[in-house]
Amino acid sequence: MNPIDDDTLQAYVDGELDAEGSARIDAALAQDELLASRVQQARALRAQLRALFDPVLDEPVPARLSALLRPASPQAPMAATPFVAASARRGFGARRRHTSRRWLVPGAAVAASIAVLAVALWWHAGSALVRTHDGRQFAAGALSHALDQALASEPDPHASIAIGLSFRGADGHICRTFIERSRPALAGLACHDAAGWSLPVLSAAEKTERDELQQAASDLPAAVQAAVDARIRGEAFDARQERAARDAGWR
Amino acid sequence: MDPSQAVREGLLPLLPRLRRLARALAGQATDADDLVQMVLERALTRAAQWRPDATLDKWVFAIARNAWRDELRARNRSQRLFAEEEAGATTADAASAPAQKLELAAALAALPPDHREVVALVLVEGLSYSEAADLLQVPVGTVTSRLARARATLQAHLGKDA
Repeated sequence: MNPIDDDTLQAYVDGELDAEGSARIDAALAQDELLASRVQQARALRAQLRALFDPVLDEPVPARLSALLRPASPQAPMAATPFVAASARRGFGARRRHTSRRWLVPGAAVAASIAVLAVALWWHAGSALVRTHDGRQFAAGALSHALDQALASEPDPHASIAIGLSFRGADGHICRTFIERSRPALAGLACHDAAGWSLPVLSAAEKTERDELQQAASDLPAAVQAAVDARIRGEAFDARQERAARDAGWR
Repeated sequence: MDPSQAVREGLLPLLPRLRRLARALAGQATDADDLVQMVLERALTRAAQWRPDATLDKWVFAIARNAWRDELRARNRSQRLFAEEEAGATTADAASAPAQKLELAAALAALPPDHREVVALVLVEGLSYSEAADLLQVPVGTVTSRLARARATLQAHLGKDA
């Protein structure tokens, strides 16, 4: 006959009993192997759950989360946190899809009002960021370098070019969205192939002087967003996949 | 200090625990961090409602639990597939995680939300029964009975393959 019910035993394992109650169970355990094995099972489950979730405590907190808690003050502008995000399938994922494809750019940055310009001649005429090859546009110079090297997971707030999402397109080529923060700013999509980073979409992102207190979080220009949606297969790369893709030469 | 500032500063050191709780509730890491983002946004919006006499961790855990429940409801409305998908969700993302961990994660994901949240709050987060009862706004007896049933289910899952 076992006078100790399940609730009491559970409370014992969870440290909910007072000293007297605990002592009573301790004494019973010494006498009753079955009871002892039940206690051991319950403790093992607790330990397994901790082993499953405690490692989260040691993970670096994603910048997009800690950034939300940074004080919004003009003296301490928000660091750039364009993050690479997997667009998941449902629920939270749908939200992610919505929130992830944004540009988070420091200071007075690029806000959303977007006029899509086919390609602004003034932009690539004078700069060496775009070259034309076989009638197609390709990234050149600093843009090509940023697409080759920069990781959205390790943003450089001082870089003139910020990388957003990276993903593998349905045709197998890796594509990356980017924004060029000069004035007026441009955003676009670059896809890697044998000839370099081709630029199927370039779009002007009109720079507006927004509230300096606020991070400028603008949606991707609609044309770029549409180009991403048309090409993406599966999910955008996470930080690890992005790095692996870079190490593999974006093939 | 304005309340929003106090809450911001107080939440920063809580982020690792909040992420752990979110992982235990939501399962997948990406979903969990989306949940954390939602929770932080809500917490900042409601910063004025926080009273320094209430511990900030319990306050934000309650927001997390409620946000998670809201999200489950929204999913249920939009997709009847939820139960099947959720049952297949894995908590441990690393492909290299030992099979035992994956099984436990799958068993946890398959629990009803009532059970899962008490496991997350008491067994993972280490809240006392009465703290969990306060947070969930149910009697302590409800917490203990849910916990006992959740334990039995999880142990049955784990014992099956042992």
